[in-house]
Parts: sequence; structure tokens; C-alpha cells
Amino acid sequence: MLKNLCQKMFGRSLWVYHANSGGCNGCDIEVLNALTPYYDVERFGIKLVGSPRHADVMLCQGPAMRSTGQALKRAYDAMPAPKLVFAIGSCACGGGLWFDSYSVIGPVEKIIPVSYYIPGCPPRPEAIIYGVAVALGLVDKKTAPVTFKELELPIPQYHPGDLRGEGELVIYEKAEKV
Amino acid sequence: MKAVIWMIVGGLANVGLVLLVAPLAQGVLRKVTARIQSRQGPPLLQPYFDLLKLLGKEDIESGESPGMQRFAAYLSLAAILAVACLVPMGFSAPMNGAGDVILLIYLLTLCGICTLLAGLAAGSTYSLVGISREMMSMIVLEPLFAIALVVGALHAQSFRLNEVLSGSVYAVAGTPYSGLIMLVVMVLSFQAFVQRVPFDISEAETELMEGPLVEYSGPKLALFKYAHMAKLIIYSALFVTLFVPWGSGLFLPLAWLLFWAKVFVLVLLVTVVAATHARYRIDQAIRFFAGLVGVSFVALILASYGH
Amino acid sequence: MSLLSKLGETLVCLKAGRVTLPYPAEAKPLPEKFRGRPIFDATKCIGCAGCANNCPAREILVYDVCQEIRILKYLGRHCAYCGRCADVCPEKAITMSQEFENGTNQIGDIQQRLELFMSTCQRCGRCFKEPSVLEQLKMKGYRFDDLENERWIFRSQATLKGEPVVEDLKIELD
Repeated sequence: MLKNLCQKMFGRSLWVYHANSGGCNGCDIEVLNALTPYYDVERFGIKLVGSPRHADVMLCQGPAMRSTGQALKRAYDAMPAPKLVFAIGSCACGGGLWFDSYSVIGPVEKIIPVSYYIPGCPPRPEAIIYGVAVALGLVDKKTAPVTFKELELPIPQYHPGDLRGEGELVIYEKAEKV
Repeated sequence: MKAVIWMIVGGLANVGLVLLVAPLAQGVLRKVTARIQSRQGPPLLQPYFDLLKLLGKEDIESGESPGMQRFAAYLSLAAILAVACLVPMGFSAPMNGAGDVILLIYLLTLCGICTLLAGLAAGSTYSLVGISREMMSMIVLEPLFAIALVVGALHAQSFRLNEVLSGSVYAVAGTPYSGLIMLVVMVLSFQAFVQRVPFDISEAETELMEGPLVEYSGPKLALFKYAHMAKLIIYSALFVTLFVPWGSGLFLPLAWLLFWAKVFVLVLLVTVVAATHARYRIDQAIRFFAGLVGVSFVALILASYGH
Repeated sequence: MSLLSKLGETLVCLKAGRVTLPYPAEAKPLPEKFRGRPIFDATKCIGCAGCANNCPAREILVYDVCQEIRILKYLGRHCAYCGRCADVCPEKAITMSQEFENGTNQIGDIQQRLELFMSTCQRCGRCFKEPSVLEQLKMKGYRFDDLENERWIFRSQATLKGEPVVEDLKIELD
């Protein structure tokens, strides 16, 4: 019974632990901006706590580095279930600009399973709040994969009236895009 | 027989009321703090959601001795609710015959001991530093409250709860100097008793990763947070009955409502002070309280001479 | 007394009212040159792969199926939204849109994939010979980045063999 209540109340009071595993602190500042009066995520019940044992959500920034990979895994294991992980910023989502550098293991999801991605460099505080709202189910996500195929191969059409010249040199006058 | 029934019913009513109202007081505190900081703030019922969510989370056994951790969590909430049975909240104290002021002092000290047990059971560096600070502040804080109660007992010439906790500090012929001195001392140190800024040095702070509570998760954390919220209500009730007793002689529903109105005003004052101050360092706080202990000894001497 | 000054401070803060923006109900207007997600307009793209060559995060992968078909894939995983691709594109096919609300639960949602027909030269039907030796060095020829594993394939021997530059790291737990 308590677990059912916890599931129902989960969306209304998320306690957040902030873990930066080697980023440039740009996303840190944007996350802390989201806690200031201007953007105020506390009205959704989100509180910043100091220990991963108290938290429900881990906000990961920065790519997983060789030196901090183990610490990140231990912080994730210290969180009690049910738990979520948000990867904030391009570094945490995909490794950032330096995803194949010598000191970077890769994106955060190589070490811990990630639930929601919020890309950006750094993401605006509104983008972070939107990502949290998508996680809570308040809004729909706005991205979907896009594929464009040129279905028919365009064949160039030459009109004999547009060809000039004689002999070997033939010039096509109307150079429209094909 | 009637006394026993009154004890049980009154005790349950007191405990139930404290359990219901404590998260609401915390919600009011958070909302008013947010408004002072010019932002919207969480909804008023937010601490209820927090506690319900924490109760359903997974219980991770961590720290050095998990059995002692669980015991400390249960003991903290149990101690503060036992104090609730001893406090007259608008009507006379339920357990009036079963305890007196000395028991009250010891039960309040027990709430601090629970934090000590919690920190020792966790065994991490942060919690050990947190409990050392908590013990230092307890050493200088508990005498203040004990002296306030003893001054009241000296004036009322008894240790019974109903007689001491009804404004007895003012019960002298002439100007109650000791009562007024103790009023000022208690007002200045009230924030430390309820463990809010500027004096919440041991718990719930970002400097020590929440100090003694760092290894707690899920239901045990819910009990500690509940005890923290209940402390605000219990200490406000004690302050109101000891120092602001006017109006408790009226007939019962009005006295009860007046009591809760006074407690609400006190919670608002705590909020305003908590929202506008920064946290003191431990040595600044100890110096402050040591000065207050000296002043309260003066009040004790005056009280023993009948002033 | 300090308590009075604090009360005065409280009144000053209360006069400011509530400054919280009611986001997600309403959004603040964005600055003009705000760089959000890049949008690839496939009707204007000529498949020159200038964007892929200039991306500092190597986000855009290029794969040549044959002489005529080239696949461009924008991953969106480690894009830093710098806008270099839009600056370099000769046809202005890439616009840095103003969309920043990209939170999602699958990182593959942000990808854009273009399969383009590369027409041949109109004069002779073959790829032309570059005018100088320097231009010859800059030609990349066929591109065959790894679309499934989402990796660039470099031309040097080291990566073609598949050996990693650093040895694999093992995460140890105690």
C-alpha cells in the first residue's frame, strides 16, 4: 500500500541530487538557475538535497571521465529505488565535443542507465524545466526522428531548343537545378 | 477511572493533532519563505507529499549498524510524540498525573540524543562532524530551557505540568523581572530549539550534506523529517503556554482556537527570521548561547529571591 | 537592532511581488540570434558535406552508397549548437531554429537523416578533376562513416583496423 502511495506521490515531490562528473560547469549553472526565483522549480515540489541517499532523481552533467566513472556508479547505487536519471547537456547525452578524447569514457549512459535526455550546450533553464515536465508527463515531447528520401531519381531534361553550339562543343544554356 | 480515560483520550488527541498539523506548519514555513524570496514556492500540502513518497521508497541498509539506525529513527519520533502528551494544548495536559516538569526536560534532551545515535550509527565522516556540533550546541541550549522551566516552578511552588506551564514565570507580586529576562532569552534562542536557520548547525544543511542524516533513506528518513517538523509545533506550544498564557482561562473551544492562533503567529515569526538570516558558525553560536546562559543564571538567582 | 533591519529587508522583498515566470504555461520571447536545434532542409541540400567537415563534434555522418546516392545523418547526441554548419553551408540549407525544448527519453529522437541524389556533372557525366595538387589533397572521395554505430571512419590506418587508441577501461566496484 505504501508503495502505491509512493508511486502516486512520486511526480509531485522529486528530490534531486546534482552530480557533475567532469563537465565545464555550464550546465551546473543552468541547473542552479532553474532553482532561483525567476524559473523556480520548487513550485513543482522539486528540492535539492545533499546526499544521494535522500534523492529520487540524479541530474548528471558532464561526460563520464576515467577519474570519476567509479564515483558516478557508486552515487547511482546509493540511491533508493524508484529512481530516475536525467542526463543534462550534450556532454552527458552523447559525450560532448570530446567524446573520443583520451580521458573521457563517453556519455553517462555507458555507466548508468539514463531515463531522460535534455540536450543543449548548455540547455536553457526553460529547456531543463521542459525536460522535467516531459518526465512527469505534463507535456508531450517535441522531437521525433526525421528521414528525407528523394524517392524518384530526378532525370535531367534537355530541351533541344536550349542547346547551342555546333561540332564538339555543345553548351546547355538554361542551367536550372536538376 | 475517569482520569485514566481522560489521559488516554487527551493523549491520543494531542498526538493526532501534532501529527496532522506538523507538516502543515512546515508547508506554511516553506511557502512564506518562498514569498519573501519573491518566488512562487511549493503548494501548502507539499510536506505531506514528501513524507508519503519517502515512506514508500526502498529501505537501503547502509552505515555501520543498521539496527541502531532504525532504533534511532523510531526513537526520535516516539520521543517527540511523548512530549506532545505532556503539553497542555488549549486544555489541560493529558498526562498531568503521570509526569512532571523534570520528565519534560529529560524527554526533550532525549530528542537530541536521537540525533547523536543516528550519527554514530551511520559512521560516516559527515555525520560524525554533524553530531559533534549538535552535542556542543545541546550542552549550551538545554540549560536555557531547563532554567526557564525551573524559574516557573519556583514561582508556582510546584513541579506539576498544569501549574508550571500556564504562565507561571510571571506569577509574582510586583514586576516579574526573572520572567521578563527569561522571555527575552527564550525569544533569542528559540530558533536553535526548533533547529532552523540561523542555528540549524547540525542537521539539514548543505555544508555537511545533511549531517547525521546522510546515510538515511526512505522510511527512516521520513520519521526523522516528521520529528523535525513536530519539534516546531511542540516547542511553539511550550513557549506559548509558558510565556504567552493569556486567554487560556476562557471556555474550552475558544481557548483551544486561541492557543493554535498563537502557535501560528509564532511559526510565522520563526519563518521570517529563518528566511532573512544566514547560518551561524558553531563557535559564533556557542559564544552567543554562553552569554545567554550567563544572563539566565541571573534570572534564576532573582527568581529564587522571589522576584 | 538587527531584527528591525531584517524586518525591513522582508518588506522590501515582499514589495517585489512574485517574479516567477509561469513557464510552461507561457514562454518568454527568445533573443533574436538564439541558436537552437539545427534543421536540415533537404530540398536545398546539394550533399557537399561541408557541414560534416566543419562540425567540431563530428556530429554529421556521411555515407556514399554509390556514385549517385549519398546519405547524411545528423545525430544530435553531442551537438554543441555552435552553428558552424549553418555558417558554412553554401546553399543555406541549415537553419539554427529557435527550438530548445528537446527533452526526450530516447536520444535517437533528435536525429535527422537525408538520403540525397548526387547528380553528375552536366558537361561530361563524371566527377571533375580538381585544378591543383592542393585541391587534390583536400578531396575526400567516397565517405563511408558508420551509420549504425554512429561513428566517423577516419582515413588513417589506425582506426580502419579497429584498434582503439586507449585501452578499454574497466569500472571496478568494491
